[in-house]
Amino acid sequence: MIHSFQDLLKIGALAGAAVSIAIIVWYLAKRPPLGRLAKMLLFLGLGVFPTGVALMGNIAGFEYTKTRQFCGSCHVMGPYVRDAGDASSKSLASAHSRNKWFGHDSCYTCHADYGMFGAVATKVTGLSHLYHYVTEYATTGPDGEGGRPLKLYKRQDMEKKKITEEQFTRHLNGICKQCHSTDDPIWIAAGAHEGALADLRTEKVACIDCHSDIHPTALHRRQKQARTEEGKP
Amino acid sequence: MKHAQIKKLTYVAAAGTLASVVLMSLALIFPSPLLLVFAMSLGQGIGILSLALYLLAIALDLNIGGALVDNVDEQLQAVREDQAHK
Repeated sequence: MIHSFQDLLKIGALAGAAVSIAIIVWYLAKRPPLGRLAKMLLFLGLGVFPTGVALMGNIAGFEYTKTRQFCGSCHVMGPYVRDAGDASSKSLASAHSRNKWFGHDSCYTCHADYGMFGAVATKVTGLSHLYHYVTEYATTGPDGEGGRPLKLYKRQDMEKKKITEEQFTRHLNGICKQCHSTDDPIWIAAGAHEGALADLRTEKVACIDCHSDIHPTALHRRQKQARTEEGKP
Repeated sequence: MKHAQIKKLTYVAAAGTLASVVLMSLALIFPSPLLLVFAMSLGQGIGILSLALYLLAIALDLNIGGALVDNVDEQLQAVREDQAHK
């Protein structure tokens, strides 16, 4: 069934692939002389249709990589994705995942780089995630137990002094401010926003300093909580 | 370059495209991170290389065809000259 543009592209790509495969199999099975008709058919089967498959497949594949389902396909993301999909959870991840407009892409919406080449930068970072997953996390426990703690790549950049703390806070707040405008009177009137308005606008305070319940079931949170309960630092 | 070699080149191009299209289709049907990355890099790389091989085969085929036509012209010219001498 076609529910989205992504589905339409996927079906188009698969139809193109089927035609291309049919032409190639015909050629390899029959091995006809390279006459004008055979050359034209092969041009369609080896050039036109595969190019269409690649173009439509790229877009459909790229769109799929934005989905929460895709992010959850690496087991270390399990605690994050389970919580995001839990309708009874009060975490920020869950609340945002219930959003009608971007809930199915909630991981990407909040974690993608939103700069000029944000989509490309995000996908390049995604490739490094895949590399680290295969080399370091593939054999870790069901929720990534035994692996290095997962960190935002921008936080890693800050720790490696590639960006300043202010730039990091600006990045984090920028994600929230994509939807939550600090000029909105309703937002200003809510909670302690009015008092922290100047600090929020100058990136002295991060939104998540107060709204910290983002991924409460994340492994590092659970480990931290367990250490606290045991009285360890 | 002989016709047999051009045919071989075309078979290689066809087999490469088949592998590439199957890989891209698998990534669409079973979209896992590794498969998607392989399809978008290796799959498309093989596809582009195969298309280049096929175009090369066509160019070589046209070249041979052209050479044959030239030969025919030369032979016709020689026959005409022979007939003129006689």
